[in-house]
Amino acid sequence: MRDMRQYRLARSRASARPAGRGVGHACAHHGELLQGMFTDSAGRLRRALVTLPQPHSGSRATFHPSERHWGIVGTPELIKVRRAAVLALQAFSAHPSPAKGGQIDIVSDVPRGIGMGSSTADVIATIRAVADFHGVTMSREEEGRLAVLAECASDSVMIDDRVVLFAHRDGEVLETLGHRLPPMIVIGCDADPGVRVDTLSLKPAGYDDREIGAFQALRGALRHAIRHQDVALLGKVATASALINQRYLPKPLLDQLLDLCRSTGGSGVQVAHSGTVAGLIFDARQPGAAQAASACLARIGEWGLPVTATIGLPVAGAAQTQATA
Amino acid sequence: MRGGLAHAEATEAYQLPRLIRLAPNLYAACFTLMKLIPARFILRRAAADGKLPRGTVIAETTSGTFGLALAMQAVHLDRKLILVSDPVIDERLFRRLTDLGAIVERVPATAARAVGGYQAARLERLRQVLADYPVTFCPEQYSNPDNPRSYATVAEFLLENLGQVDCVVGTVGSGGSMCGTVTHLRAVLPECQAIGVDAHASVLFGHPDGPRELRGMGMSVMPANLDHRVFDAVHWCSAGIAFAATRQLHRRHALFMGPSSGAAYLVARWWSQRNPGALTVVLLPDEGYRYQDTVYDDGWLRAAGHLGAAVPDEPAGVSQPAQPGGPWTSLAWARRSFDEAVRPRPDPAVGVA
Repeated sequence: MRDMRQYRLARSRASARPAGRGVGHACAHHGELLQGMFTDSAGRLRRALVTLPQPHSGSRATFHPSERHWGIVGTPELIKVRRAAVLALQAFSAHPSPAKGGQIDIVSDVPRGIGMGSSTADVIATIRAVADFHGVTMSREEEGRLAVLAECASDSVMIDDRVVLFAHRDGEVLETLGHRLPPMIVIGCDADPGVRVDTLSLKPAGYDDREIGAFQALRGALRHAIRHQDVALLGKVATASALINQRYLPKPLLDQLLDLCRSTGGSGVQVAHSGTVAGLIFDARQPGAAQAASACLARIGEWGLPVTATIGLPVAGAAQTQATA
Repeated sequence: MRGGLAHAEATEAYQLPRLIRLAPNLYAACFTLMKLIPARFILRRAAADGKLPRGTVIAETTSGTFGLALAMQAVHLDRKLILVSDPVIDERLFRRLTDLGAIVERVPATAARAVGGYQAARLERLRQVLADYPVTFCPEQYSNPDNPRSYATVAEFLLENLGQVDCVVGTVGSGGSMCGTVTHLRAVLPECQAIGVDAHASVLFGHPDGPRELRGMGMSVMPANLDHRVFDAVHWCSAGIAFAATRQLHRRHALFMGPSSGAAYLVARWWSQRNPGALTVVLLPDEGYRYQDTVYDDGWLRAAGHLGAAVPDEPAGVSQPAQPGGPWTSLAWARRSFDEAVRPRPDPAVGVA
């Protein structure tokens, strides 16, 4: 599913800059562990989420500076990448030798439209490529701010050094929940194959008071789960969030996946709240977890669902690292 | 909301409980004043929704801890508060309320009714107060859904600190604390059990109304905020054994709490001993200062006939709420509605006479 995308952009036909390029990379994710509305430090309710990173796929962007003007036409994701590049160029306009324009090439193996953060991965890789060209490493928070400016709402894959509750429409970390997720295995699939979710036209969920109260409890549980590296509790939080989401972007196979998870000793099921993927969560430290996860993988195959993630699952011959955010 | 090193308001600092481990599988959530949770939430939400413009008079009928919590929050919001109370309000509470700026209106002693006491007179006076001022707000703790909703804060606190909670035990009055805490806990832990503790002669779980010695729990009228389907079991507890358990809590654990805390502790201790593999949390709603001249005074206990009351080792199980069974009874409520649990169903074996 690797595709090549080549986006070109130009801001002006201004001065020449020495040849060179910048590269940037960003990971995909596999939907959320929790998404809802939460109070910030000022007591205001904010939409926010906790992302489940999918370290095995991502986007790689290469920035080639150029002064030639290229017309930009095309699809919404092209617009997001162009916008991100322009914003990043603006951020470096005070640099001693800033680039005026250029071209972005993107290589990505992130499936599109199923909630795995393909456009954020493109956008963050783009921002990082432009920053790399200028010899600068931006802070993760600044990357997040630019990403939201570029695409209105962004997940938190750029914050890759800790677990955060991220206000995805404001590009702001509401709370750092801990250093890393506990060691877990996630078997992911596209739970509604063929359906593509257009995140730009997705209406924000109209959570009611009961759900907002539940989010408050879930936030407390998630703090405990991450502080104590408790996969069982993390799975309960993810499941509760997935069930609430059934009112907004339902996964027709969620009950079936929950049954499969329970029957194989899994901890819970997480979903993409703006996509179609779902993942079964296992505690990697439990004896037999890999076998149980493999059994689920086989069942998902029998059901004919495309596999979208095998995070933390040791695969013979392939050196896949464990997902610990 | 999480407390940092400093709080912006006293009610924020006071509202969360302290967790104390009474046994390996039993934690007490000890509140200074639990009613701060709904009072703070209801008034702050009303303010955020524009329902408390400057000059608004907040009015409520209460003689108890909810009034004190409202008075504290009204200080932070700088709003006038009128509380309509029984004629027999505790003198020290009265002084504290008035020092906080609240106006306490006592209905006349002649307004008592045989059933429901001063309740009808208080509600009538409240209606007058609400009619007398142009802009008013009534928190309505018995029917305002923001009361149970406010206890998401307690569920968040328990989940953050304990992770797992298998059973919550607490006394029931408005229904807010137990229904709100347990409903929100069950968003994460659907199997979590709820045990309600009521007073004999309280209508909440189907006893006929009557005089009650035990304050702070039990009711003469059914509050809309009580969702009976939350409860797995209900216990009824006499004043005498609640007082004795309150003193045990103090002597054994150095926890200085009020009598409703004693009643909840009695039930939680028994249940947690019978379920050693389950983690139980008991909600202890207020401190003992208001009861120093009563529950904590042996002379008063003797005069009331409660000194040395024997605390049974276990409750007497009953199959109908008001079935006699002594000072401590329990009923498997099984998350039924009031009608399902209390209304007698025609028994086909006996037939309908």
